[in-house]
Amino acid sequence: MESLVSLNGSEPSVCNSPLSTASIWQDVLAQAVTGELMAATNYSALATICDNPEEVAEALEHAQGEHGHAAAFVAEGRKIGVDVPSNINAKYWKRIREAFMRSIAERDFIACLIIQEVMLESFAVASYSRVGKVAPGSLGETFAAIASEEEGHIEHALDILRSDRAKAPEPFDEKLYQLHLDIMTTLTEMVAKECRHGQCDLCHGSCVKPSLSEVGLTTAELRGASLQHYLRTLDMLGLPGEVTLQWVTQLPV
Amino acid sequence: MGHATASLASGVQRTDLDFALIGHQESWRSVSDVLAVLRGAERTRLPDAEIMEIFPWIPPRTICNVEVASATGAKARGVYIDCFIPPDHLDSEYVHDNIGRVRAAAACAIKAGARIVSLGGFSSILIEGSFDQLPGASDTIFTTGNTLTVAFVVQGIRKMCAVEGREICKSTLLIIGASGDVGSGCARCLAPFVKRVILCARNARRLRTLAAGLEADGIEVEIATSLEQVQYAADIVICAASVASPSLQLSRIAPEAIVCDAGYPKNLSPRSDMPGARVFFGGLGQIAGGLSFIPDFKGVLNRHPFPDVAHGCLLEGMVLALARRFEPFSQGRGFITRDRVEEIETIADFHGIHLAPLYNAQGPLDTIGTSKTEGHCWSSSGSMAAPGYVSKNFASFSAGSTGLGARLSESEESA
Repeated sequence: MESLVSLNGSEPSVCNSPLSTASIWQDVLAQAVTGELMAATNYSALATICDNPEEVAEALEHAQGEHGHAAAFVAEGRKIGVDVPSNINAKYWKRIREAFMRSIAERDFIACLIIQEVMLESFAVASYSRVGKVAPGSLGETFAAIASEEEGHIEHALDILRSDRAKAPEPFDEKLYQLHLDIMTTLTEMVAKECRHGQCDLCHGSCVKPSLSEVGLTTAELRGASLQHYLRTLDMLGLPGEVTLQWVTQLPV
Repeated sequence: MGHATASLASGVQRTDLDFALIGHQESWRSVSDVLAVLRGAERTRLPDAEIMEIFPWIPPRTICNVEVASATGAKARGVYIDCFIPPDHLDSEYVHDNIGRVRAAAACAIKAGARIVSLGGFSSILIEGSFDQLPGASDTIFTTGNTLTVAFVVQGIRKMCAVEGREICKSTLLIIGASGDVGSGCARCLAPFVKRVILCARNARRLRTLAAGLEADGIEVEIATSLEQVQYAADIVICAASVASPSLQLSRIAPEAIVCDAGYPKNLSPRSDMPGARVFFGGLGQIAGGLSFIPDFKGVLNRHPFPDVAHGCLLEGMVLALARRFEPFSQGRGFITRDRVEEIETIADFHGIHLAPLYNAQGPLDTIGTSKTEGHCWSSSGSMAAPGYVSKNFASFSAGSTGLGARLSESEESA
């Protein structure tokens, strides 16, 4: 694995880019790189609880893929003249990581898939797609391409989850709801209009959210698109739309 | 079991859905109320700005189960599916996005196994001219619900004329939105009984076609592509235009004209200056057997000052489900005839679904019992005495044995 990216976090550096919005992209990329690195570690951890050798191989392959995405984002940062920091111990990401590791400790393969493939990937695919539309040049192309790749590997996970739900819908839905309360609450706080509980530990200066409009983004759009993708993914799993809508409307604002 | 998943167990099983209702909210106020119910009483309301940002992203989906009871004791079960069209997007500018939402809502209805689907409000307007836009290859039947809407609009006009003591045969009828399915249906039902009819809509070609059909029956017809072109002051006005918000300002109408706002969203601007006009909201029916929602959206999805009231377009699907007539009763544009209106009225009447008590923005029109019908060509029947439930059905239009009733019959025959 290319060691372009450190899992242990790196310090944000000063932006010396000729691109006027580079410092905004630096913070956007920092979230993306951190998310990808966390996904990589999640998949690596998942491999340790898989019984089937094919599943182990697949989880490791995904881990490698996510590392590749992180590296691609870091490279895009360099192109616009910024070093992209990462920190999987940053406030929100740490909470999600801890929730994932609790499921690993319980050897709950299904819970891990729900967190990674349904919840985190919904946010990744939807946010990257939006960023892909507004980011300049190869930066936008990279976001769009990675969004497409992430979407591609969700399908297999959904097959597994649909099959598990078919065996016992009620326990499945209850498990999903409990994970929703934990993970989705954190994710929606991440894309809330403002960080009410202080800095996210990733922005290199003040919070990037108020500046997103300068690059054609808004937190409302990122949150809306992400929740839409999440609802559609839950629809694909067969959960009743009226129930999942209630879940989403009850999330913090 | 968590709070939200608990409702899974109480929900209607997907395999026995008689009907689905597809609709949308007409104002941000109603959107806020819907979301407040979904969030639960224990949570604070979402801020308006938050709602306006997030709402457009919600994919069309079921938001509640619905049960309707017939006067016969029969029940039909269904779901209400919201398209989540933002109220300020009910405009031609967003037509493609909105059609996409209606299609997605239709797909939800099919997936839910609904046997018949009623298209409410703008969803009907968007699709009435292009049913092929709906997902195919399913056993689910779609109806615009427009025939029952026309029935209730016409009944409302008739009731107001009776109450106000107006001679409809001497009246000039103006229909705004006359080229639409509801507007043209109202024209076919009412034109034979008035002195003159003015058809107003933007599409001149469709207006001419409709006018030619009416003129062939000996009816005096004027067409206008804008309200400014209208030459006669109308005594009776039906507003059935597809407008995004209450924005219509009536200018040339008779003093004390009867005005039926049959739009959803409402057509008439609150700033309209219509001194003496008797305005009421038309196209609404009331279910004697009752209407219930799970979760409880009573008064939220049906925001009327009377219980168990809904728009005719949505009621049509429920009526057909109660009658076990799973057929596309209303489809396409311009096919609503007096016979079809009479037929759906008869079915609705059998199941205890009647014209709702009349009201407007100021509240209920407490006019029942103050009828001034004597000596006028439009006689009220004995059933008018029952508050809120008017008359029988369209047949009573022309079934009077009095001289006045006979005049109506003559008009019908000549038509």
